[in-house]
Amino acid sequence: MSTKLEVKNVSYEYSPNTPFAASALTDVSCAFEAGMITGLIGHTGSGKSTLVQMLNGLLRPVSGQILLDGRDIWENPKQLSRVRYRVGLVFQYPEYQLFEETVSADIAYGPKNMGLDGAEIDARVREAAEFVGLEADLLDKSPFELSGGQKRRVAIAGILAMRPEVLVLDEPAAGLDPIGRETIFDAVRAYQQAREATVIIVSHSMEDMAKYAERLVVMSESRVILAGTPDEIFRRADLLCSIGLDVPQITRTMMRLSELGLPCRTDIFTIEAAKEEILRLWGKERENA
Amino acid sequence: MLKDITLGQYFPGNSILHRLDPRVKIVLTVLYIVALFLAKSMLSFVFILCVTVLLVLLSRINLRVILKGMKPILFIMVFTMILNLFFTRGEGEPLVHVAFVRIYREGITTAVYMLVRIVCLLAGTSILLTYTTSPITLTDGIEQLLAPLSVLHVPVHEFAMMMTIALRFIPTLIEETDKIMSAQKARGADFTSGSLLHRVRALIPILIPLFVSAFRRADELAIAMECRCYRGGAGRTRMNRLHMHIRDYGALVCMVLFGAGIVVLNIYTSRIGYGL
Repeated sequence: MSTKLEVKNVSYEYSPNTPFAASALTDVSCAFEAGMITGLIGHTGSGKSTLVQMLNGLLRPVSGQILLDGRDIWENPKQLSRVRYRVGLVFQYPEYQLFEETVSADIAYGPKNMGLDGAEIDARVREAAEFVGLEADLLDKSPFELSGGQKRRVAIAGILAMRPEVLVLDEPAAGLDPIGRETIFDAVRAYQQAREATVIIVSHSMEDMAKYAERLVVMSESRVILAGTPDEIFRRADLLCSIGLDVPQITRTMMRLSELGLPCRTDIFTIEAAKEEILRLWGKERENA
Repeated sequence: MLKDITLGQYFPGNSILHRLDPRVKIVLTVLYIVALFLAKSMLSFVFILCVTVLLVLLSRINLRVILKGMKPILFIMVFTMILNLFFTRGEGEPLVHVAFVRIYREGITTAVYMLVRIVCLLAGTSILLTYTTSPITLTDGIEQLLAPLSVLHVPVHEFAMMMTIALRFIPTLIEETDKIMSAQKARGADFTSGSLLHRVRALIPILIPLFVSAFRRADELAIAMECRCYRGGAGRTRMNRLHMHIRDYGALVCMVLFGAGIVVLNIYTSRIGYGL
């Protein structure tokens, strides 16, 4: 396991030297492993979105460093756009950034800025559309004719077409229905596996994180307070609850069952695992009876 | 960056200026501006400067905030000063005469007067109105001041509602612009380098989403207002009605005295021959 992107003692403050000054990040350090999906969770206002904008150099840390493959991204500020092609950032509600006449032109905006030639751009647009499951006949439509979920996928494809080594998504599934959520997360996972990309997902949904994330970073009040595998994190239910977060619903159910006296495991975060555990208990009960 | 614009922003507080009736404040501002342009002599400008400083103190708003609000017009200030300095022709010998450049005593005084006038204009009006009055009360004040015009079928209420909505959405749109800019930067957009044409083109990916979202917001707002049975101004009552207090009458009297003071100072200085 190697570290792809590292945040080292980073601090940030909004509107410094005004009555509205507010600290957004305080001495934050964390590492994102290459080729893994890392979930970034935290209550509203915990600094997640600020941290995310640091990762591709949209915000400059007041102090500290962001290291991409071991090199400070601010080492040469003129090369920042190159960093932004390598670290693709999908904002919250990215469908509001669409502007081109056709879907394919909008997806091509990033690659065009990279200075690629026509054939390469075309290939990338097709590939990105495929990742997010956009049908070919949608490519010539205006992005403003599409449904909300489709627009979201176009916007994500716009980032994927840059073929970033690190893909960062801020609440990619916010406001979508369950099928829409699944489509998005599956697209992200398909991209991660095909390109061996490092993925960072900001999310409020513990269920989604339990299902997709391989590692989790927990933020509270502009600090990173926990980092580890979902297993390690969701064991700390008390701590999570105390900072306004939660464990997945299914974990809650298992914890309640155990409180009620059933000898079941509580380190269960997905429905599949819960099903197995309950069947196991059920089997045991039957034997006893 | 974009969020740092403070011109026309309200700073919550509880000073006497915050508590004045918005109608009075609008009238005060108009009187204040008239007084500024009546001033002709050094004494009256000193007087204006003193009153403006007093206003700043009364508002209890950080001086740094006020100075920051002036930054955007710094260029205009410098430009006006330079123009006045070099192009005012005075009587008598010029103070400096190098080649075609002639600077007269009158030039210097006019330049300084203009500077004082612009600074006071901006500081005074923003303290009297925008910094100390929330946009909502401000439009309330405007609506009531203009109410007599509705006899002439001027749609005063609609006008005030439009103002309220416009003011309400300025910060929202600024935030939105910031967000869209960041999103396009993440896709490699570059707004700072290249030829002028290139930079203008680079704005398209910001402007289109911004317009789309402005129309979307307008649509949503219209629906939300209709859901709450908004049908325009006729027969609409208010929850918070404006009342004049003693302090409001007092403020009006002070401002009239201020204007009168300037006129008197003008006449006085012209009598004793200091009028410049």
